[in-house]
Amino acid sequence: MIIPIAAVAAVTLGTVGIGVWGVRFARSTSDLYVASRAMSPWWNAAAVSGEYLSAASFLGIAGLEMQIGVPALWQAVGFAAGYLALLLFVAAPLRRFGSYTLPDFAEGRLASRRLRYLAVAAVLGIDTFYLIPQLKGAGIAFSEVAGAPYAAGIVVVAVVVALYVALGGMRGVTYVQAFQFWVKTVAISIPAIALLIYLGGLPDQSALFAGGVPRAPAHGLVVSLDHRQTVQWPAAGTFEVGGRTFQATAGEKLALGPGRVSLAPGAVVPVAAGTPAQTGRDWARPVQSRGEGAPLFIYSLLLATFLGTMGLPHILIRFYTNPDGPAARATTVRVLALLALFYVFPPVYGALGRALAPGLYMSGQTDTVVLQLPRLVWPGFGGQLLGAMTAAGAFAAFMSTSSGLLMSIAGTISYDAWGGRGGASLRLRRRRFRIVATVGMALPAVVALAVRSVDISILVGWAFALAASTFCPLFVLGIWWPRLTASGAAIGMVAGGLVAIGAITAGVVVGAQALTGPVDSILTQPAIVSVPLGFVAMVVGSLATTAPADVSPQMLALHAPEGLGLEVLDRARA
Amino acid sequence: MSWRAPAVRRTPRDELAEETAHGQLYLAQLRRAQLELSLLGLVAFGGLIGSLPLLLVLIPGLEHIRVLGIPLSALLVVGPSFPMFVAIGAIYRRRADALDESFRDLIRDE
Repeated sequence: MIIPIAAVAAVTLGTVGIGVWGVRFARSTSDLYVASRAMSPWWNAAAVSGEYLSAASFLGIAGLEMQIGVPALWQAVGFAAGYLALLLFVAAPLRRFGSYTLPDFAEGRLASRRLRYLAVAAVLGIDTFYLIPQLKGAGIAFSEVAGAPYAAGIVVVAVVVALYVALGGMRGVTYVQAFQFWVKTVAISIPAIALLIYLGGLPDQSALFAGGVPRAPAHGLVVSLDHRQTVQWPAAGTFEVGGRTFQATAGEKLALGPGRVSLAPGAVVPVAAGTPAQTGRDWARPVQSRGEGAPLFIYSLLLATFLGTMGLPHILIRFYTNPDGPAARATTVRVLALLALFYVFPPVYGALGRALAPGLYMSGQTDTVVLQLPRLVWPGFGGQLLGAMTAAGAFAAFMSTSSGLLMSIAGTISYDAWGGRGGASLRLRRRRFRIVATVGMALPAVVALAVRSVDISILVGWAFALAASTFCPLFVLGIWWPRLTASGAAIGMVAGGLVAIGAITAGVVVGAQALTGPVDSILTQPAIVSVPLGFVAMVVGSLATTAPADVSPQMLALHAPEGLGLEVLDRARA
Repeated sequence: MSWRAPAVRRTPRDELAEETAHGQLYLAQLRRAQLELSLLGLVAFGGLIGSLPLLLVLIPGLEHIRVLGIPLSALLVVGPSFPMFVAIGAIYRRRADALDESFRDLIRDE
């Protein structure tokens, strides 16, 4: 218990230290919002990756892989693919346009005050949906590794992050996030490699890739259920409660707990509700006939992550910190390489978890497999040390993503929404930025404390779907299509956003999460419908309204390469 | 032909700076070339990654081939995808920078 707390404390202290050290760089407006546009591609790439790899990547992918099988890995593919889309269509022009925030871009490109405020609303919606689950994850993980109350992790992360964002601004946050990328990569890779060496490779189990189902290991298995829950036996088996032995038939569902359930060596391990009871062969099949492995769900997920990434405000503001357009491209290619490095490791935990930590299937805690696996398979000091590493990495994930989101919220409110942009002195700006950074964290933290029961993936799903359906069409068309009008852009953003939120809300109401019908895929992951709709509405809306006045200055700013010696351009891009 | 008054020489750079019709045409050409390159990258991505789920459904035999004890079908999800992204990204970046460079040459040289 003491080792993981020490590791989490070390990462937190390192974070605060770098954040405070970064404070000295927060001298100008440009430092505060865009780190003076002076970050080199490697620093920036590490910071982008550090910010991007949230709890969903650090804990979620391995957990979902263990739970539903190899189809979960499409999520990692989509998360990385998003940067390819960003590189191809957005990175260089967006940087060249030279704004401070996304709403700034919206108004600058389409000359509409109203569109700026619509963009502010979309930014705040996306960022808040994304921030709440990060804090929730921190609360759950901290109680998991340290036995602390749920609120403790939330308070720690909220206070630390608000502190260094408010003090350090973008310059400080960039250094912190670059540091946290390497913390996370070390924390996921070293334990994975060490465990594989310790075990001598992947265990040869039929539950992993062949016809078997997970079974209790040679020394038996004791699972503590902290509340009464329904579990299902994938095959006939026996179990023991309070010294008495019971029989369960194949497919039988029983309500057990709270309390300890013992399984004899080799006994079939039942699975919690929501976890498919499958053989190793089914588990390893990357495309399945139903559920989250169904082709329609996979394609919609790939579309949402492919196009959603370029609409995530906290990621995009990172691109403003590049010195110029080519540097923005260079940064993105490096991000792809860094993500490729990171995503090698989460699948290892999912597979090892299936073979060696089957108790998590029964308690329904597969999403904590990264935290628990080292301790479960390597008894003694080695496992504790590796477990402490993954716990520290998880906290780095919560903190870095939260700080990026808070940076985006604070920048948007203090720069775009609070009393006009021009004129405000640096002192006044900085004070506003700090107030908003503090308040902006308090609100989501309170919500996270209150909504313990809301599913994390629902909120992240909203964020991605909303981003893909609103900002993605705005950027792609705004950058590449001169005929786009402000009204068309507004219609498209509203239409795409409403359909995305509407579909997910309807899905929650009718319980589509179970993914049984063909429509359920679309209700849970609506991008495949809402994104094309956003694009079409934007194009039709633009063609139906009067063509915009001369947009050649905007097109020049977006697309003219650097180094032409045009003074007007260099000034706009500074 | 020394008797003809020397024409005022307008460079592409001036055209661009003054946002004349000519200047806009130069820039529109660059924009189109960049967009075509991006769409080519999109097609490459769509063809290679977009076809992967379909491929895995159509060739069920892949799950019987084991590499390092892991079914090939599972390895194909993550194995080739990430290096492919980096490769497409790196090639795109080189060609996009080259398009910018040739535009710079056009503007500077004349």
